[in-house]
Amino acid sequence: MNLDLNFGMPETEIDNTYDVIIIGGGPGGASAAIYTARADLRTLVIDKGLTAGALGITSKISNYPGVPGPISGAELVEIMREQARSFGAKFLTDKVVGVEIGEEMKTVIAGTGTYFAKALVLATGSMGRTSTVPGEEEFLGRGVSYCATCDGAFFRDQDVVVVGNNDEALEEALFLTKFASNIDLVVPTPDLKASAMLAEEALAHPKIKVRLGTRLKEIKGNGMVEGVHVHPRGGDLEHIPVRGAFVYLQGGKPITEYLMEQLETTEAGCLLVDDTMQTTVPGVFAIGDLICTHIKQAVVAASDGVIAAVAIDKYINGRKAARQDWN
Amino acid sequence: MALLKEQDQEQLRQEFTALSHPVKLVVFTQEFECQYCRETRQIAEEVTELSDQITLEVYDLMADKEIAEQYNVDKIPATIVMAGGEEPLDYGIRYFGIPSGYEFSSLIHDILMVGDGDPGLAAETEAWLADLTEPVHFQVFVTPTCPYCPQAVLLAHKMAMASDLVTADMVEATEFPQLSMKYSVMGVPRTVINESTHIEGAVPEPMLLDKMKEAVA
Repeated sequence: MNLDLNFGMPETEIDNTYDVIIIGGGPGGASAAIYTARADLRTLVIDKGLTAGALGITSKISNYPGVPGPISGAELVEIMREQARSFGAKFLTDKVVGVEIGEEMKTVIAGTGTYFAKALVLATGSMGRTSTVPGEEEFLGRGVSYCATCDGAFFRDQDVVVVGNNDEALEEALFLTKFASNIDLVVPTPDLKASAMLAEEALAHPKIKVRLGTRLKEIKGNGMVEGVHVHPRGGDLEHIPVRGAFVYLQGGKPITEYLMEQLETTEAGCLLVDDTMQTTVPGVFAIGDLICTHIKQAVVAASDGVIAAVAIDKYINGRKAARQDWN
Repeated sequence: MALLKEQDQEQLRQEFTALSHPVKLVVFTQEFECQYCRETRQIAEEVTELSDQITLEVYDLMADKEIAEQYNVDKIPATIVMAGGEEPLDYGIRYFGIPSGYEFSSLIHDILMVGDGDPGLAAETEAWLADLTEPVHFQVFVTPTCPYCPQAVLLAHKMAMASDLVTADMVEATEFPQLSMKYSVMGVPRTVINESTHIEGAVPEPMLLDKMKEAVA
């Protein structure tokens, strides 16, 4: 056993305290950042990666007003982020693992450290999973894992599957090559929805076998995971004997796990907001696909972001009326 | 060579200016040191250097057997974060295994919490802990590369600080494979409560409270 000995304090180049922290850097989050940063509010956007969200994995956009396209979703998001950066917004690539919603200060716990802000914008989209496969809950912590960096060490010299098609699934599969003997990458879609660089690396890795167009049907075991049943498109159900199953599937449910039930949601898991995008907790706003009351389009999320940003300016600066900003 | 980078030392010095109460670190190691005993002792020494409010005592698990028993330490490396000064108080906060990677931030949080004198739990949790009549022992299994683990460790440590009857161990799973095997740990964080109950993942305070109720029921 050799541990990486690391006593670094997390992320020292980036400050810990902001006026606004925006979780999610898609069209909603980035648009909010353009407006809060331009209003001189210290703004941090925490995002898992350019191709982590619904827009980031869209290949062709031709209906975003002002951008005739066709342009890839990732390119469009990057243009918005660059615009926000030009006004001073900071972007951090990281995964948020929890938030603590206090009255004055809101705390955001991410992999690189803990960050504080007066106001919070939740813009994590709705690519969360709607259901689990049989065996998944039963074997959680018994071979089923959602975090390869956490649990990879328990699967040294063993065979595992990684299920998913996005950047996260590929990164985790590549991380697992340090420990596992063989990795079957079970991809539900006919192709990968990840950045070209990661896809190439995964496809070329001798320990990784990529199974495109294959669905995870069930996780089998006896006390511990012993294998998975998968169904390749147009083929027969297949059993893969493994000790570990790392699952990174996505769906159409709002991503709210990191909130740990601190905010009110509808039965469908959508956050409740007022007409300024504020949730039931003052200073906490939710925008875009997290509030499933309207059309799931980038420009709608962007609009939500702007509404929230104007309300945040009022919330923080105690303004009675919104500042006009059109000259 | 120092384990802590200079800029981190500076950042920590700043953060430790918030310590209003003295904090004592107690480290158990061995003459022929275990795999990460040397680094665990060294990191405690370097952290202690950064504030006048922090003191350190280092003991040998074998040579100082009686002290180890008194602190209920049976494996090494072990680190205890407790109230220092003229009225030292052991809350039951333990680290078994090296507090490196993400767990280094847990150690710093614990020092700040003990130095602040307030675990900051919800009123409902405090009230339940105040009425507790039997011991609760947490073992939170972690790996240093697990970003979710510090939340689970810190919550258990807060409970330990809030109640004399609660003790809470961080256990670095890869350094204690026999314990990981005993408690069937194949994923972290996994919190074992009083041998009988366990919970997967970093859970919110009300959910851990429910599990504690279940464990002592």
